[in-house]
Amino acid sequence: MKQYNKITPEGTKDRLFGECEKRGGFVRSLRALFESRGFREVSTPVLEYYDVFGTARAYFPQEGIYKLVDHDGRILVLRPDCTIPIARLIGARLKNERGPLRIFYHQKIYRHASGHTGLSGEIAQMGVEFVGGDLPICDVEIVELACRSLRSVCGSDYQLELCHIGYFNALVDSLDTDPATREQIRELVEHKNFPALDLLLERFEGCPAQKALKKLPALFGSVSVLEEARALFSNEAADRALDALADLYNALSSLGLDHLSLDLGLVNQADYYTGIIFRGYTAGAGEPVLAGGRYDELIGEFGPARPATGFGINLDLLCERAEGTAAVPPPRAAVLVDAKSPVTEAFSLVERLCSQRFAAELVPVGDTRDAPAPEGFDRVFRVVDGVVKEG
Amino acid sequence: MNRTIRMALTKGRIEKDAVSLLEAAGYGCAGLRNKGRRLIVPTDGGEIDVVFAKAADVITYVETGACDIGIVGKDTILENGSSFYEMADLGIGRCRMVLAAPQGSDFFSGYAARRVASKYPKIAADYFSRKQMDVGIIKIEGSVELGPVLGLTDAIVDLVETGKTLAENGLEVVETVCEVSTRLIVNIASLKLRKAEIEEIVGRLNAAKGAGA
Repeated sequence: MKQYNKITPEGTKDRLFGECEKRGGFVRSLRALFESRGFREVSTPVLEYYDVFGTARAYFPQEGIYKLVDHDGRILVLRPDCTIPIARLIGARLKNERGPLRIFYHQKIYRHASGHTGLSGEIAQMGVEFVGGDLPICDVEIVELACRSLRSVCGSDYQLELCHIGYFNALVDSLDTDPATREQIRELVEHKNFPALDLLLERFEGCPAQKALKKLPALFGSVSVLEEARALFSNEAADRALDALADLYNALSSLGLDHLSLDLGLVNQADYYTGIIFRGYTAGAGEPVLAGGRYDELIGEFGPARPATGFGINLDLLCERAEGTAAVPPPRAAVLVDAKSPVTEAFSLVERLCSQRFAAELVPVGDTRDAPAPEGFDRVFRVVDGVVKEG
Repeated sequence: MNRTIRMALTKGRIEKDAVSLLEAAGYGCAGLRNKGRRLIVPTDGGEIDVVFAKAADVITYVETGACDIGIVGKDTILENGSSFYEMADLGIGRCRMVLAAPQGSDFFSGYAARRVASKYPKIAADYFSRKQMDVGIIKIEGSVELGPVLGLTDAIVDLVETGKTLAENGLEVVETVCEVSTRLIVNIASLKLRKAEIEEIVGRLNAAKGAGA
């Protein structure tokens, strides 16, 4: 019988000491940042009913989800996403809470990591959700917080990219097309697949939106793409989206935030997001380390509709790529004890060392009188015949 | 932080045409043509570090950001996923992915469940799923034509350039699954963090292609 009892499942790994301490440093600084802005922590179970991820707006492709069956035959999943369960919690449990809710979380998500790609199946995320505010200044707050989060972890080595799904929607809405074609267009724009997009859009020759859609994947970079986009296509909905984006960009700039860029072709999860969408990148990480946006219709799947916006940070990716800011560990002190060492002496010494900011450890030996000093400690003490000696 | 842009280039079938295209785009390729056993070779001007890799590995390197750009066939892209930008059709390495069966057989008739051999199980599965057919797909690594010849399968899904191998083994094309050509793919974060450099490379390759290289 083959036993898998010495390894962890594919896509998961053990994390030892330094890695945990580095992550701990990131978590502490992000937590302090979120709490300083009035965000309060929630946690949701690792297990959820499959149905939570099956509604129209909260749809999550089933191929990526780990599933189990409970004792009543109901399908459970290992949570593949943090925001959807929090939307469930807000819609069901917090529906009578008035006023804006500021929520943060620090928990893991699980996704099938297919065969030996090095992708992670267990991803630690930390993020915020701001529920109940739909003023432009609420978008500013969340994106500003995203910038500060990246800055606190990556220093100045980050880039935050903004989009508004309204521009893409305005373009495809103006075409006479079915949902399947619309989804095809969206996918090609998302992957910046110019050749296939040109081919697919041939049939819309003459539509004003056609030219803009063809150029859409290239509309990324500096703020000037907004003017380009406006010149390519203009109607009420498109203008509204571009205006909102310009206002947000200007507001963030006026707060002294740089490292900002735009990508009007950022159209992933178009059914989920309803307004501003953004992503954060840092050098060395091949995928975004931060992703977020406005999702005004998600909570309505689970209770009374409420506008909301938020973002999540992929802590694993960040820990691998960003320079550590882990706190310096305290000096280590060893207290050698043997079978005859009095408990009270040993523990009062440990307590004294702890109060002097040492990490104090009892080290069991055969005989404290002649045991060699253990390695790796800054100071070594031994209890000999009830008396404490150093060295 | 700013290491040289890395391009993963598929070894083998499309390598020669891809290097010619790079040359037409103004990148010195003497080193690439005489790479010997080296796996990473810079263009003569040092603009790009070219990494020679097997097709499926090109996808892996670009998805993870180990390389910024990749040159790889559409067949490999369809088979191995798509978390990257697919920014240009380089127009080289053109061929077809086809369903082929023994000459004179009628693959689509009858009620018996079919078996199909392929090096591309995902492309084959997607194709039959679109046709709403329940087909057993058997992954074969080498000469897929052996499947029907040995009586293991009823048909194959494979790449065809001239159709000569098919004919010599008594097979014929039943239907085209999709057209295939060589694509330029780009890592998502790289495009955003190094926009100007990557756009220049994409632009020069597109222009060289347009010039009929």
